[in-house]
Amino acid sequence: MTDQQAPDGSDLSRRRFIVRTMVVLGGAIAALLAIPVVGFATAPGWQAKTTPKLLSTTVAPTLRSNDWTSIGRVVDFEVGVPKYLEVERNIVDGWVTEIAPIGIQVVRSTDTDVVVFDPHCTHLGCPLAWSTGAEAFVCPCHGGSFKSTGEVVSGPPPRPMLRYETRTEGGEVLIGTFIADAV
Amino acid sequence: MGRIRSWLDERLDVSPLVSGFLDRKVPGNIGWFQTLGSATLFLLIVQIVTGIALSMSYVPSPDHAYDSILYIDQTPFGGAVRGIHHWSAGLLVLLIGLHTLRVFVWGAHRYPRELTWVVGAGLFFVVLGFAFTGYLLPWDQKAYWATVVGTNIAGSAPIVGGAMLELLRGGQQLGAVTLARFYGIHVWVLPAILFLLVGIHMFAVIRQGIAASPRRKPLVDPEPGLSRREAYEREYAAEKQAGKPFWAALMKDAIVAAVLLAVVGVLAVSQGAPLDPPANPNSTDYVPRPEWYFLDMFQLLWYFTGSLEPLLIFLIFTFGATVFILVPFIDRGRARHPRQRPVAMGLTAVVVAGIVGLTWLGVAGTPAGVVVIPPTEGMTQPQLDGLSVFNDQKCATCHEIHGLGGHAGPGLSRAGFRWSPEDIRTQIVTPKNDEMPAYDGLTSKQLDDLVAFLSSLK
Repeated sequence: MTDQQAPDGSDLSRRRFIVRTMVVLGGAIAALLAIPVVGFATAPGWQAKTTPKLLSTTVAPTLRSNDWTSIGRVVDFEVGVPKYLEVERNIVDGWVTEIAPIGIQVVRSTDTDVVVFDPHCTHLGCPLAWSTGAEAFVCPCHGGSFKSTGEVVSGPPPRPMLRYETRTEGGEVLIGTFIADAV
Repeated sequence: MGRIRSWLDERLDVSPLVSGFLDRKVPGNIGWFQTLGSATLFLLIVQIVTGIALSMSYVPSPDHAYDSILYIDQTPFGGAVRGIHHWSAGLLVLLIGLHTLRVFVWGAHRYPRELTWVVGAGLFFVVLGFAFTGYLLPWDQKAYWATVVGTNIAGSAPIVGGAMLELLRGGQQLGAVTLARFYGIHVWVLPAILFLLVGIHMFAVIRQGIAASPRRKPLVDPEPGLSRREAYEREYAAEKQAGKPFWAALMKDAIVAAVLLAVVGVLAVSQGAPLDPPANPNSTDYVPRPEWYFLDMFQLLWYFTGSLEPLLIFLIFTFGATVFILVPFIDRGRARHPRQRPVAMGLTAVVVAGIVGLTWLGVAGTPAGVVVIPPTEGMTQPQLDGLSVFNDQKCATCHEIHGLGGHAGPGLSRAGFRWSPEDIRTQIVTPKNDEMPAYDGLTSKQLDDLVAFLSSLK
C-alpha cells in the first residue's frame, strides 16, 4: 500500500486501517453478544414443537396438560348429546405449575365410546358453544360450525375440532394429550 | 433568565445548533397537513411518558396483572394516565396512517426521501406491534382472546406458522410466558427499535428539509441536461428561496398537539380506559373482537373460506406489507402533483376505501358481544317471538339485518321480499347449501315464529 498523506500530514492508510479494525472488531463483539441474546429470546421459535406444514392449520390450544385425567364414567353421558365440562388438570406454563380447570366438550358417540373435544374453533381459536337449535358447535367469530362428530359444517375452519386421546378403564373415561395428527 | 442561559450556553455551546435548526429555511407552501408528522411524534412521546408511569405499578404475570390494573385505576390519577395511554394509542394508529397517506398523496416519498419513507413504514409496523403487544397486558377477556386470535393468525402462515406462533407465545400455550414476553417486547424491544427508527427518520427530515408541497408547474423552469440530483437541488433551492424560516411553521404544530392532548384528556377523564372481566381461558360465551384498528383485518377473514384461506391471507398481508415498504421504488417519476399521478391516486382511493369500509362494517355490523337485532315498531306477537328465536339462536352471527350482523350467510334485510315463507322454512330446516348448519332442533312454534319474523322483512 502506498503512503497517502491527508492535508494535515497524517497517514491515511493508517487511518483507514484503524477505522476498519474498529468496524470489524465492533461487529465481532456485537455478533458474540447477539448469539446468546437473540438465541435466548427466539428459543421458543426454533425449538417449536409444531410440525411445519405448507398449508399450516396451526391453531394451538392455549391450555395443555399431558397427564391422564378422569372426566367421569361413560354412563354419565347421554349418547349424541355434547356435554360441557371443566376438569381440573395439571398445567405446566413456563415456571408455573398449577392445577387448573380446562374446558372440554364430551360426546358419547356409542354405548361404549366417548369422544372428547377442545371447545375452540380451528379457524382462529374463538370459543365454541353447542347450539341446541342447530345441533352444532357454533363459533361467534366468523360463522364456523361443527357437527357433534367434530366435522366442519360451515364457515372458514380448515379442519375438524381438536380431539383428546381417550382411554376407558372399568367404565371410567380418562383423557390425555391432544391427538397427534390434530396438533 | 438571560444570565442562566448564557452560563449554560458557554458550557454546552448549543446556540449555533438551535439557531441552525430554527432559522433554516423551509418551503413556503407547507401548512396544516404537514403537522401530521409532528402530531404522530407528539403522541409517541405521550405514550412513552404515560407508559413509563404505568410500568411502575403494573405486574406482567397472570396472577397479578389484572389486579395491578385495578389498583392503577384506583390510585389518584392512575385511571387518567391509563386512559391517556389507551386513547392516545388509538389516535396514534389513526394519525400515523393519515401522515403516511399525506406523504404519499403529496409525493413526498420521491427522491431524495425514499429512505425516510422506508424507515417510516418500519415505524408504522412498530406502532402496530406496540398496539398488539400492549393489548394483552391488562389480562382481561378482550386482551386474552384478541391475543389467542392474533397469535393463531400468525400460526396460519405456511411452513413457518408454528414457529412464529410459538415464538410469539413463548411456547404452544398462552399464559405466564406469553405475558412476560409481550411485556418485554412492549417496554424494551419495540421502544429500542422505535428510538432508532425515529432517530433516522428525524435526521433525514432535518437533513433533507421538509418536502415542498407539489406544484403542477415548478418554481423554476427545468433546465435540460441536468442530472436528477442537480435538477432536484435547483428546484428545492428555489423553494427555500421563496420559503420561510422553520420557526414560522412551528405554531401550527403546537396548536395541533394542544388539540390532540385536549381530545385525549377529555376521553381519558370522561371514559377512562376500558377493562373487561379478568381473562378466562374457559369462557364459552365470549365473542372476541379486536380494537377498531385491527377490525379491518378481522373483517377480511369473513370473505375467505377453505383450505387455501391461510395461504391467501398470508400472501395478501405479505404482499401488502412489501408493496407498502417499497412504495418509493414503485411509484417513481418526477411529477409529484396528485393530478399528474391518476393511477397512483386511484389505487390509493381503492385501498383507503377498502380499509375504511371494512372497519365500518366491523364497527357497525359486529359490535362487542353477541349481536342482538332490536325489535321495530308495529311487529306482531309471532314476529316478536320469531325475533327472540333469531336472537337466541344467534343467527346474526352469520346473517346481517339492516347493517347489524356477520357476513358468512346472505343478508336477511329483505328476506320476505326475496323468498316465500315456504322457502325460508325449508332453508332453515334443510339448508340447500352446505354452508349453513340445519336448524332442525327447533320446536314447531319456534320455527313458525321465526318464519313469520323473517317473512316480515321486506
